Amino acid sequence: MNCEEYWNDIAGPEPEEDFDTHLAACPSCAARWAAGRPVAGGLRLLAAEMKHVSAPPRVEAHLVRAYRERFRQRVPPVGEVRRWWAAAAAVLLVAGALWTGVRPPAAPLVATNSGPAAATGIEDEDSAFIPLPNAAGSPQDDDVDLVRVELPRSAVTALGMPASDDSDAESVEAEVLVGPDGMARAVRFLN
Amino acid sequence: MKAPESDHQLFERLRAGQEQAFVSLYHRRQPALYRFALQMSGSAPVAEDITQEVFLALLREECGYDPARGSLVAYLFGIARKLLLRQFERRRSDVPVDAGAEERRFAEPVDASNPLADLTARERVEALRRAVSSLPRRYREVVVLCDLEDVDYAEAASALGCPIGTVRSRLHRARLLLAEKLRDERDGGATVPAWKAARCAI
Repeated sequence: MNCEEYWNDIAGPEPEEDFDTHLAACPSCAARWAAGRPVAGGLRLLAAEMKHVSAPPRVEAHLVRAYRERFRQRVPPVGEVRRWWAAAAAVLLVAGALWTGVRPPAAPLVATNSGPAAATGIEDEDSAFIPLPNAAGSPQDDDVDLVRVELPRSAVTALGMPASDDSDAESVEAEVLVGPDGMARAVRFLN
Repeated sequence: MKAPESDHQLFERLRAGQEQAFVSLYHRRQPALYRFALQMSGSAPVAEDITQEVFLALLREECGYDPARGSLVAYLFGIARKLLLRQFERRRSDVPVDAGAEERRFAEPVDASNPLADLTARERVEALRRAVSSLPRRYREVVVLCDLEDVDYAEAASALGCPIGTVRSRLHRARLLLAEKLRDERDGGATVPAWKAARCAI
């Protein structure tokens, strides 16, 4: 290995011993190698001094905003989390009822709700809540949530309600009563 | 004790919409990226912009990170470098006027005396900071990555898009150049050249 090869290939595929051998035999390259050593020590000092340097907090704030925008993410309040869980459960349960083909009795379920939107009794057939099959043995809870969801149009007929032919919509809006255990109790179609 | 999540795990989670993973990855990798951009550009606002752009790249639909081609940290430094190159092209002031003079120094006899011997620690750091910022880009980037930010040679090679041997040989040449510059400064000869407007010759 000559000097040029040494400096060009110092970390090439050759084993490290070859480089050491060259340094031992070549005073010029050894001197050059030695000249770099104090610099390496000084660079460590510089690196240590710069360790505390980082981007200002506004960069992180901007990035987090961009992240939330990208993923449409927000931190919901605790009550809202419960409502979303309830909505998810309601959709699953209504879907489950449809899948098993169970037709529940059409008797209206009288319920009260902690929320103002649901604090109504069910008075006429069109606005009545239809109890879901899994709600048969559920207690009459005072503390139910009313959750508005979208369901497939087929859900209307599967639950024994006449489906309007006027609408081309694939889905219908419905309100679901969800008990404090997260189980859907009843559903009411809005359109 | 639970081992910390790898960069790749954090990447997977952040792409799944988990903000905390994004924040964790940012806290882990941002300081080195910011310092790299700062040392390379010599400008805090540019370093801020570069850091921001690097992490925004992770949020894009097609962010281009492929774990089979290298680590996430190499990918992040690679993006930072590309953005810096674009910046340099706009400014066209990356290198000292006579970049070839740096190369010619290798043909000259080497003074093996310690160029930092008579300086206090503070003076050493400041002298080195000036010397590093005056290096031609291809030497400066390996010094900043490998010596200042402790990026390993394989990751530096991946970030720079060159063989690992090139990283090592450039690193060694860079240290020699730094020694020469410091010696010049110590001897009151040619001072470390300041940034000069010049057409990028790299």
